[in-house]
Formats: sequence, structure tokens, C-alpha cells
Amino acid sequence: MKKLLLTALLISSNFLSAQQYLTREARLDFDAGSPLEDIEAFTESGSAVYDANTGKIGVQVLMTSFQFKRALMQEHFNENYVESEKFPKASFKGLYSEGNVSGGLTIHGVTKEIKVPARLNQENGNFVLVTSFDITLADYDVKIPSAVANKISKKASIQVHATLKKISK
Amino acid sequence: MRRLLYIFSLSLSVLSATAQDDVFDLLDEESESTQYTYATFKGTKLLNGQTNETPGQGVLQYIISHRFGSFTDEYLYNFFGLDNAHIRMQLDYGFSDRLNMGIGRSSVLKTSDAFIKYRALRQKTGANPFPFSLTLYSALNYRGARYTDGIDHNTSDRLSYHHQAVFARKFDERLSLILAPSVVHWNLVPGPEDPNDTYHLLIGGRYKLNKRIALTGEYAFSSNRRYGSGATEEQFHNPLSIGVDIETGGHVFQFHLSNTRAMSDPLWMAQNPYSAADGSLFLGFNISRVFTVTQ
Repeated sequence: MKKLLLTALLISSNFLSAQQYLTREARLDFDAGSPLEDIEAFTESGSAVYDANTGKIGVQVLMTSFQFKRALMQEHFNENYVESEKFPKASFKGLYSEGNVSGGLTIHGVTKEIKVPARLNQENGNFVLVTSFDITLADYDVKIPSAVANKISKKASIQVHATLKKISK
Repeated sequence: MRRLLYIFSLSLSVLSATAQDDVFDLLDEESESTQYTYATFKGTKLLNGQTNETPGQGVLQYIISHRFGSFTDEYLYNFFGLDNAHIRMQLDYGFSDRLNMGIGRSSVLKTSDAFIKYRALRQKTGANPFPFSLTLYSALNYRGARYTDGIDHNTSDRLSYHHQAVFARKFDERLSLILAPSVVHWNLVPGPEDPNDTYHLLIGGRYKLNKRIALTGEYAFSSNRRYGSGATEEQFHNPLSIGVDIETGGHVFQFHLSNTRAMSDPLWMAQNPYSAADGSLFLGFNISRVFTVTQ
């Protein structure tokens, strides 16, 4: 009986950890443009994780991995706005439930609680995460000099598209 | 009982192992991707010398530079030298994120120049870190000014060259330094005892005060500078410059004070006749503007 209990525990723990999904190739897009200036960037090297048992979901991205059309804009993004040397990563850690993700979004070293709609569908044994939401740059202490204030949107829209594969241990 | 306790503790450890196996830990387990160091310097030029930077692919850059008259000579009458300017203009293009070529024209000796600049090695962090950047730079200079020695000098006589290996390292977000061994070659020198090649070592750096303003400085040591037949003492002096970089979006403004006035490389590096110790100091600036011409 005790052996059985132990085996059950061990199996269940294996089972628990086997419900984790991961990708290192999440696509993230962001747009902080205005009618005066296109400010768009994307990366295809974000990380995303999901635990189907606990509902925990996380996304993380290296700020320097964002690609801009203009080299100078990319340099300014990293050096002057998000300060990638000080704050190399942006991340979200939270929970998925019923079409929403909620949790802490950390950008530029500032963490804010957010709750946004998200789709998380099971396809061919993978989870596909799709979400799109706006953030206010001032909330994350990203300073925009007044000289360019009309070129940069005060809100940035962020899109995430990730196909998470089951981790085999 | 003991067995039960054993099982209990074992199951606890299993549970705690599961709890530690937090899915968020996987985010940080990321095999660190290589990150190239960006913005070692604001501009492609430090003051007179080159930095390791090039414009990105598809970026056209225009630089206009002025070097004014002597700062200390009758400074009010000459308005700190601002009445009397030498000028250089440069147009260059980033053919790739590594390759940059351009042309320039400066008023001292009516010199035209063409240069090629290539980022051979780039400083990076992450899985395959590399501690410094190396950019190779070569410039060809053509003296357009007429000679006064009565000899009809051909094109070859008018050419001089400058080759440089720019080693640069960004130590942190504020401090970047440059070490650049250089060679200057003159096709024509004044006398037989004068060397055609002179060797120089340029040191320079920048220290950022805030996001947009940085202090800069550079100095070049010279191996030999016995130019000028019959000269009994040093004719030329090592170039020394201090300045400030101000970045405003697509422009970089570089203001400085130096003991050089010429802007084509062989002239300021190898044949600078002015001595800071004698009070020969000149105000100057470079202003660069970049245009992204391809998407």
C-alpha cells in the first residue's frame, strides 16, 4: 500500500511536470508609431512557457532582439528609451484562465499588473498563444523627450504569437 | 512508523521538487543568445579620428566640419577664431551593416579624399562573448592645391594614404575607449631624409554624461615626423582634441577644441604644425545627419 502510494506520488509528480510547454521562437511585434513616424519592430526569438496544470503562463524577450527597419531607430530604442543595458529583458509572468491572461508585465524594470484577453488553443498537441494589447509607455517610466513627443505614440501596441511545444523529459 | 515517516518525507521532497520546477524558471534557462554591443560611440568619427562605428545598411550620412582660426590669437578681434574657418564635407553610405564607403573634400590644400571602412570584428556578449570591436579604415587623399616649387607634379605626387586599425571597447554604458595603430604614407616627401611612412597610435574615448551628451577626447602619438628638409627642430606636433558630443535624433553635433586645423587624415595626424603648449588652440565642430534611403 505504501509502495503504491509512493509510486502514485512519483508518477503524479512526473505527470505534473510533463504538462509544461515551451518555445524560444515566440514572435512579438510592437508599434509605437504616429501619423508622423513609423515606429515598428519585431522579434522572433522570444521565450514563452505554459503549465497546463497550474495555468501559469510566461513570456520573456531580450530587448536588443527587436529588429527595426532603421538602424538608428533601433539604437535609440535600446539606448535612450528602454535602456537595454540596464534592463535587458521584458517579461510577463501570470496565469491564463478563460480567455484572459493576468499577471505582472515587466518592462524597463517596472512591473505592472495587467489583465488582457488572450487566445490559447491546443493545436496538434501544441499550445498556440495569441494576444494583442496596448500599454502606456509612461506607466513603465519610458521617457519621451518633448522634442519628439508628437512622433512617438504615448501608447504602444504589442502583439504576441507563439507556438508552444510540449517539453519531453 | 519510521517507514511511514520516511515515505512522508520522501513524498514531501518529491512535492517540493515539483514546486521548484516552476515553469517560469524555464524562461531564464534560455541559452543566452549572442548580443552585439551597440552604440560604442555616437558617431562614425570621434573628433578628427575614426570610431569603430559605421552607418547601418542603407544609411546615407552627410558630415560637415569646420575648424576655426586660432582661439587665442587676438581673440576678441578675431571673435575666438570664428571669422576664419576651414571646412570639410563628407558623404558616405552604409553598403551593409559592416561596409561603409565615402568621399570628402577639405579646404586645406584643396584635398579630396575617399575612404573605405569595414567592421571586421564586433564586441559581443552572451554565448560567444568577444571583448572588443575592430574596424579597418583606409583613406586615399589627393592634394588639389597647386605647388609653388615650380615643378609640374603628377597625380602620384599628390597622393597620400592613411590606414588604420580601430580597436574599440565599450566598457559600460558610459565609457568607451579607442586604440588605433595607424600608418600614413606620402608618395612625395620634401627631402631624401624624410620618411615616406610615419606611424601613429591614436588613443581616444568618450564618457557619457547622460543619454544625449558625452565628453570626448583623443590624442595621437607619432613615431617619427622629420618632415621638412633642413629642419633643426620638431616641426610637427601630436594632435590633441577634447570635445563634447550632443545627439538629437538624426543629428550628432560634435564641438571641440584642438591644436589641429586640417581635416584630411595625413595632414592632421602626421603634419600638424600647431602646438597646444604654444597656445595654438582652435574651436571646431562636426555635424552629421543620417538619412535612411532604403527600407
